[in-house]
Amino acid sequence: MREKIIDIITEIASDSGWEIVANLNDDTVLLESGLDSLGFAILVARLEEELLYDPFSMMDEPVYPRTLGEFVRIYERYSS
Amino acid sequence: MRGEALAEILRRFSGDHQVLLTLSGILSVNQLLKDAEDLYRRSSATSRSRIALYGLPAIDFITSLVAFDGKVEAMLLLPVSLDEAATLRLVESAGCTHYMDAENIVEVSREQEECRFSEAKVESESEATQWLLATSGTTGRPKLIGHTLASLSRSVKRDLEKGRCFVWGLLYDPSRFAGIQVVLQALLSGSLLLVSESVDFESQIEGLLQNKVNALSATPSLWRKLLMDGRIKVCRLQQITLGGEIADQHILDGLKRQFNGARIVHIYASTEAGTAFSVYDGRAGFPAIWIQNISAPLPLRIRDDGHLLVRPLLLPEGHEIVQRLDSDGYLDTEDMVRVEGDRVIFLGRASGAINVGGNKVTPEYIEGCIREVNGVHDVRVFGKKSSMIGQIVAAEIVPYQGLEAKRLRSEILHYCKLNMESWQIPGIITFVDELKENSAGKLERLT
Repeated sequence: MREKIIDIITEIASDSGWEIVANLNDDTVLLESGLDSLGFAILVARLEEELLYDPFSMMDEPVYPRTLGEFVRIYERYSS
Repeated sequence: MRGEALAEILRRFSGDHQVLLTLSGILSVNQLLKDAEDLYRRSSATSRSRIALYGLPAIDFITSLVAFDGKVEAMLLLPVSLDEAATLRLVESAGCTHYMDAENIVEVSREQEECRFSEAKVESESEATQWLLATSGTTGRPKLIGHTLASLSRSVKRDLEKGRCFVWGLLYDPSRFAGIQVVLQALLSGSLLLVSESVDFESQIEGLLQNKVNALSATPSLWRKLLMDGRIKVCRLQQITLGGEIADQHILDGLKRQFNGARIVHIYASTEAGTAFSVYDGRAGFPAIWIQNISAPLPLRIRDDGHLLVRPLLLPEGHEIVQRLDSDGYLDTEDMVRVEGDRVIFLGRASGAINVGGNKVTPEYIEGCIREVNGVHDVRVFGKKSSMIGQIVAAEIVPYQGLEAKRLRSEILHYCKLNMESWQIPGIITFVDELKENSAGKLERLT
């Protein structure tokens, strides 16, 4: 899941000409990764096309992830 | 009937009452009124003047409102985001006699002035200064809506006792409807308003934290961003306002959980209709009983085609408004709604206009741009629902045969980047063999 998410982040960055921090890891703060909130929304939409779910619209208790690690864990929790 | 002018309202506060918090310090009512009087004297404006305000730092913008409201015929409030062509067109159609920007205030030359008053002389029945606002069009065709201080402040709370406990942050462009609401709410209820000169997120959030802001209005998308960033959590917010986009249940719940005890309100407003109503119960949409006129804040109807109609007590002026009124005086909001159980839920704009984090995108405009890219046979642009920023722009492309999709995609994106704002660029692009049309032969824009 982490690889898939990182691949899509890289793809969006290259599409949009955004500069992404070199070493994306679990501690990377999403809003400091180079994606702004629009980029982040596109990431969630692209992942939905790929995985066929959007965990953020499925949550009972809304969670707004701060780091990439938190973001990945949310997707893992809602997979299957 | 002439309403009270902004300066007159402010004069009722004691002179040392603190109104604006800026980088250079705190401004008292007396200081603000003095700066406003100085500006008015410098301007050579008269009661017949119509002044365009463009690109002013927030503090100068607010000073101008105080300076000119009640003294001139009209103020045209131009958002910074407008391009030059749209700005010029609006200055012309508003019949402006003066133009004020960050540098100067100048009189508009007379020979050009001759032809200007036709569209601008909107049926003004009152002597109050008109506040002319531009609707947020992104096609270069924003329209003018003629408000007054009275119509803009109709729903502003004026509880001075509560008001003085609030320090408001301003995250909107103050020349837009939502920004004016924050400015007037703070000024008229005796709160302190933090005026930031920066539109950069980092400096804005630092300002909010440093100045212990406890009342804040933002779009649902910006609230999500603030929660993701996390630093806002140290602010002890007591008043949370959402507007400009559909507020979904997730963001309302997220804010409630984070700011326990805060008063959370989502506002349904538009430049055209003004503030129609506010919802305080923490649930998305609004109570369905309002449609039956039970406890409704104003008369509301759902037309057979799903459009929400409202009948505000005080309507702004302008052709745009007149065109949208039915015979009973209800204004077509052009928002689509649906009754779900005991709530009325917002579905989006009837025109298919896309709301990307509060920025309006017209699909036809984006389609027109994309069609100019070599290799694009046809295109459909629509809003894709986003749990993060309301909607994002999506495009379906019918390519000419034999073209490599990946290359065409990168050419489309390259062209978009050169010609569009970031929020207008499709975030999702798919290639299809043909576009779906609805029964009327129009492109289907529902998501």
